[in-house]
Amino acid sequence: MIICVKDDRQAKWNVMLMPSEAKGCNLNVLECSGLVKAFDELVAVDDVGFHIAEGETYGLLGPNGAGKTTTISMISGILESDAGRVMVAGKEITTRTTDGNAEIGYVPQDIAIYPDLTARENLRFFGKLYGIPKDRLGPRIDEVLEVIGLSDRGDDRTEEYSGGMKRRLNIGIGLLHEPSLLILDEPTVGVDPQSRNSILESVELLGQSGTAVLYTTHYMEEAERLCDRVAIIDGGKIRAEGTRRELVELVGQRDTVNLGVIGSAHRLVEDLRSVSEIQQITAAEGSVEILVDGASRVLPRILEVAQEAGVGISGVEVVEPNLESVFLHLTGKALRD
Amino acid sequence: MKAWAITSTNIKRLVRDPSTIFFVFIFPMLLILVLGASFGGGFTPKVGVLVQSDGAFAQAFADGIAENDEFESLDYDDAAVLLADVERGVVQLGVIIPADYDDALVAGSTAAVEYIGRLDQSSVQYRASIEAVASDQSAVVRAARVVESEGLADFESAVAAAQLVASGPGGSEVIVSTAGEALFGDIGQFDLGAPSNLVLFVFLTSLAGSAALIQTRRLGVSRRMVSTPTSIGQILIGETGGRFAIAMIQGLFIMVGAAIAFDVKWGNLLGAGTLLVLIALIGAGAGMLMGAIFDNDEQAGSMGVFIGLGFAALGGAMFPLEIFPDTMVTVAHITPHAWAIDGFAELIRRGGTLSTIATEVAVLSGFAVVMMALGTWRLRAKLTH
Ligand SMILES: Nc1ncnc2c1ncn2[C@@H]1O[C@H](COP(=O)(O)OP(=O)(O)O)[C@@H](O)[C@H]1O
Ligand SMILES: [Mg+2]
Repeated sequence: MIICVKDDRQAKWNVMLMPSEAKGCNLNVLECSGLVKAFDELVAVDDVGFHIAEGETYGLLGPNGAGKTTTISMISGILESDAGRVMVAGKEITTRTTDGNAEIGYVPQDIAIYPDLTARENLRFFGKLYGIPKDRLGPRIDEVLEVIGLSDRGDDRTEEYSGGMKRRLNIGIGLLHEPSLLILDEPTVGVDPQSRNSILESVELLGQSGTAVLYTTHYMEEAERLCDRVAIIDGGKIRAEGTRRELVELVGQRDTVNLGVIGSAHRLVEDLRSVSEIQQITAAEGSVEILVDGASRVLPRILEVAQEAGVGISGVEVVEPNLESVFLHLTGKALRD
Repeated sequence: MKAWAITSTNIKRLVRDPSTIFFVFIFPMLLILVLGASFGGGFTPKVGVLVQSDGAFAQAFADGIAENDEFESLDYDDAAVLLADVERGVVQLGVIIPADYDDALVAGSTAAVEYIGRLDQSSVQYRASIEAVASDQSAVVRAARVVESEGLADFESAVAAAQLVASGPGGSEVIVSTAGEALFGDIGQFDLGAPSNLVLFVFLTSLAGSAALIQTRRLGVSRRMVSTPTSIGQILIGETGGRFAIAMIQGLFIMVGAAIAFDVKWGNLLGAGTLLVLIALIGAGAGMLMGAIFDNDEQAGSMGVFIGLGFAALGGAMFPLEIFPDTMVTVAHITPHAWAIDGFAELIRRGGTLSTIATEVAVLSGFAVVMMALGTWRLRAKLTH
């Protein structure tokens, strides 16, 4: 099995091979394939596989109960899988291995910190478990406290923290050992807008610094903002995968180009009919709405036609269809119920 | 070592919680104090009576004890058997009326009755009752002597005279001497209650402590530990170590505290240490098992207290096994409590050593192996499924 996905941002093809063919191929920080997990009758994860390259942020977008947490639990080596294989930085991960776990920073969906310990004590505890050398741990804790904005509250017990502060510490613990792969399970659920924004910014920065990020969410906007590639997961299966662009095109969703026009749009509408990519044109007083396949490719042609027709353009707006509509198209239901 | 990081965090969290400080350290000591002060209360004490004289006064003294409904009186004919039974707690006290008892009284000299008892608070109470019987007889003897000396024969005069003489000085008397002191010189007031409380509280804390483990699991901290490069084995050792360390800390605190505050003599240190390690291991294993089986920490906490107190009551950690009927004593030995208390009794009361408590140690080791195996097996499964 070979899965090829065009990655626009990095302008290269990511090729995912089955393990037998993947030997010597170290492009990806994470490679997983054929993951299955059933709880009694319920198949929570059904043949899930994907890969994440260095510096790439990968989103698992799906509603509650889709199987996101179950999937990343198997990837983090905390849940025994029924089938499948996980490789992180070239090392196999199961519940019995520990080698590869040093490459993973796992940030669980629930706040997994000791409430009766301070932030510093929580960080120290997990730092020891991550095997950070003693002389390195102290300075690293200070760094992380700085990053998550808790430097001045580091010696307070975490039970006294606000929800957002706890969330930030929850993430901070996953960053302690500077993992190659950071796994974030719905990190913004129940967080105030300000904390949420700071979390999203941190994730963006991490991606830029070269960390591979696996990000699960049921918020379409977060997946769109953060993720280079997104897998749409529902009922334990990945329904589609790719960049936002690819996903949108995959389901035949069109872009909308809104033109503000000066003077008569009549001639423009006539001329635009000759552009094959254009599916539909609606003209109104002072504006034209154009439904088109691949707005970015066609937009120069549209503007050219407008110029030839002598129509003045006062504004251009491109509205791309979002992942919400992709999800709706793929599963017949909304992301949030 | 990573396991130690988990163990020490367990201890740190315990020490930080003021309510556990109270229940783990202060409460057991208070209970030893309270139970020590009232040990033996609430049931009819048995008194073993050995009459070595065939005189009428001696028999009257024995009858006086038998008629006193504060006691249940049992007849003995061998001093050694009586001593052993007091020691073992079959009877709570023994009274030996010596062969020269009547002669001494008739001769007008002091007649001594040997009293064998434990030197606890209730013994003082029993002794007062025996002395009351003795002083009744003493009054009669004085009255008789008055009757004799005055040459009066009628009963009413004798009583009147006796009442007169009873308040007066002089005359012979019955002295109750304590024979137990020499025999049980090492037994203090709290020596019997302290081991029971040690066993009760170490198990109780271990079982109730399963709540902390469930909390760690429910918070997702356990899963997070598994996600780090820490093997499940290390996590299990760390968590077991945490439960074990807490049990040991509490056990040592009770042992040392009781020795210092209440002058409890634990006997052979190697033997007592071995028993403590074993009950701490059993407690840790049982705590892990409960921590794995239950998913609700409050439920597990109250179940832990319920099971902990139930087993303590059944196993003789609340009421001495000596007052149990034989079948109940047999049933009691399904609990580790009974075996541990037997072991401590041997060390404290009979000067036992590690070799004389080999049976108790073997049985407790069996408990420890089974509880540890079950606990780690269930917890391992819970952590990764
Ligand atoms: N330990 C478990 N036992 C039984 N069912 C489970 C367990 N964990 C998850 N599930 C079920 O598996 C499905 C996927 O759950 P999950 O992976 O948590 O979804 P998500 O994280 O996408 O919300 C859900 O139907 C959930 O109820
Ligand atoms: Mg989830």
